[in-house]
Amino acid sequence: MPIVTLVQAINMALDEELRRDERVMILGEDVGQRGGVFLATEGLQQKYGPDRVMDTPLSEAAILGAAVGLAAHGMRPVAEIQFADYVFPGIDQLFSQAAKLRYRSGGQFTAPMVVRMPSGGGVKGGHHHSQSPEAHFAHTPGLKVVVVSTPYDAKGLLKSAIRDDDPVVFMEPKRLYRAVKEEVPSDDYLIPIGKAALRREGRDITLVSYGGPMVETLKAAEEMAVAGVEAEVIDLRTVMPWDKETVLNSVAKTGRLLVVSEAPRTASVASEVAATVSEELFDQLLAPPLRVTGFDTPYPLAQDKLYMPTVTRILNAAKRLLDY
Amino acid sequence: MVKERIAFPSFSQEPIRLIDPEGCWVAPFSHGLSAQELRHFYRDMLAARLLDEKLVVLVRTGRTSFIAPHAGHEAAQVGIAHALRKGHDWLFPYYRDLGLVLAMGVPPVEIFGQTLGNAADPAKGRQMPSHPGSRPLNIFTVCSAIASHIPPATGAAISMKLRRTHQVAVCTFGDGATSEGDWHAGVNFAAVQRAPVVFVCENNRYAISVNISKQTASENIAVKAKAYGIPGYYVDGLDVLASYFVVQYVVERARAGEGPSLVELAVHRFGPHSSADDDTRYKSREELSAERQQDPILRYQRFLEREGLWDAQWANELRLEIAKELETALQEAQKAGEPDPLQMFDDVYAARPWHLEEQRRQVAEELEA
Repeated sequence: MPIVTLVQAINMALDEELRRDERVMILGEDVGQRGGVFLATEGLQQKYGPDRVMDTPLSEAAILGAAVGLAAHGMRPVAEIQFADYVFPGIDQLFSQAAKLRYRSGGQFTAPMVVRMPSGGGVKGGHHHSQSPEAHFAHTPGLKVVVVSTPYDAKGLLKSAIRDDDPVVFMEPKRLYRAVKEEVPSDDYLIPIGKAALRREGRDITLVSYGGPMVETLKAAEEMAVAGVEAEVIDLRTVMPWDKETVLNSVAKTGRLLVVSEAPRTASVASEVAATVSEELFDQLLAPPLRVTGFDTPYPLAQDKLYMPTVTRILNAAKRLLDY
Repeated sequence: MVKERIAFPSFSQEPIRLIDPEGCWVAPFSHGLSAQELRHFYRDMLAARLLDEKLVVLVRTGRTSFIAPHAGHEAAQVGIAHALRKGHDWLFPYYRDLGLVLAMGVPPVEIFGQTLGNAADPAKGRQMPSHPGSRPLNIFTVCSAIASHIPPATGAAISMKLRRTHQVAVCTFGDGATSEGDWHAGVNFAAVQRAPVVFVCENNRYAISVNISKQTASENIAVKAKAYGIPGYYVDGLDVLASYFVVQYVVERARAGEGPSLVELAVHRFGPHSSADDDTRYKSREELSAERQQDPILRYQRFLEREGLWDAQWANELRLEIAKELETALQEAQKAGEPDPLQMFDDVYAARPWHLEEQRRQVAEELEA
């Protein structure tokens, strides 16, 4: 079994799906000859030709809008937005067209498309190469939203997203592209959208995270274990629809919830998880659910490390919960 | 083929016109259409007008909330409808296209169902009136967001090209749409890909109240095509046969792999922007009255008279027949009743996720209580 990085796993999934289904195609800026600015589509145009791995004009509205029409007409387009921060010129296509096409037509037309985008900070990218806009998408009915954190998941979830009958926003934390490696089977496997992964079992506290900060969350759990605290760690993987059942089962056992995300705090996915747990498990909680998140500022360049959830910040929040 | 017989000039100074205001055929070729075909254009234009009048009554009597009148656009819309291969080509219409979708074959009962937002609407009453769509006829359900359907039309056309389906996507919009970024994005990408798509502007010179002089500094809409490297055709959209022959020419050009075109059909808007608008605030009654003198149906009537194909008795019978058809369809639509309230939670996704199941259950309990 090959040991691959997250970005290589994305490439494997795309390659396999292009080979499996001739309706699948890729479109985006620099995805062809260049192989994508992060090389996620490296070698694919050479293999499948310029029609199926299509370089587009520099226009997110054209990329996402064309993907809607391609999908409605029967293709399975995978659109690449070069950075999540640049999805906004195309947002009307995603929100007004893709998300609502099935609904507004009463199920007559659909837009089964995937929108891949590198997201998140930690690469000295300043505020326009570092954002985590998943809450915008999760707040738009009709979209599914996946945020991956491991190569194995990335491949299985991307293949599921391509085969899904609804538009899926697929977010790839760019700081993990080459930072994580693991064995990824070269055969066909799927990971279901909407199912969280239990990364670590424990009985004292539940840590819920997804995407980039999974790294810090798992490190914090290891440090807690050294101190004798058994943390249960859940990787949501899909933030819309998120896996409520897995989270509630865990918090019912531990009585303590800490949600970790690098997106801004207010009106966030982390807030949604914390609010739901408060509503449904209020009398089983040993402490109020806490959030460790990015701050409600634009993503800063100079204070990059201060902005991101750190192991120390996670440990401090966990201590507050345990000492409550 | 028509294409061999008639080629039209792009970027003409004067609008392309085949029938003059007096109803004279002024083209240097013969139209080659049968009496039945010629009368069919008239029938569809008259039906479009009568539909418009009926919708105005529905609004004024409080039976629907909104309409976007299309009176004045009939020649353009019927010309477009006849130029497509119905049920094969795809149409991406906008909200002022009810005359067009009627001529495309959307059953009037569906149009009224959509207008009433009830169970006779194939889209389950989800949108405001004037937002039709039809899967069987490949009519992409209208979206309110102006020009947001331009890039999807391009995408569908790219799919048609890649899969060699010999289809064409025809995308219609008003003059205001040409100022949107998505219009540029869609036309530009289509031109780069030489996708089989035809962009048709029904230019009535008003985006709600904003006159074309404040919309664009271009001499007309058609010339905008130059910047994208595609042909643009400036056409008298009050002339149904000019609209038909030019759109058919560019549709077949696209089908033959020669890429997209932009067609401007210059029309008038006889009504306000919508039933919620008061056009006396920005359009003088003198201007409107002058426009109404150029009624596209009247011009075509004069043409048919000259061809010996129109007389008052035939026209009156036709009018009564269409009126009866529309009234029957309206009554049928009214009988359909309200859509199931719990359909609110359908079609958000292919299957309902847990959170929508929960929310649906809550509403179901409220309804039972």
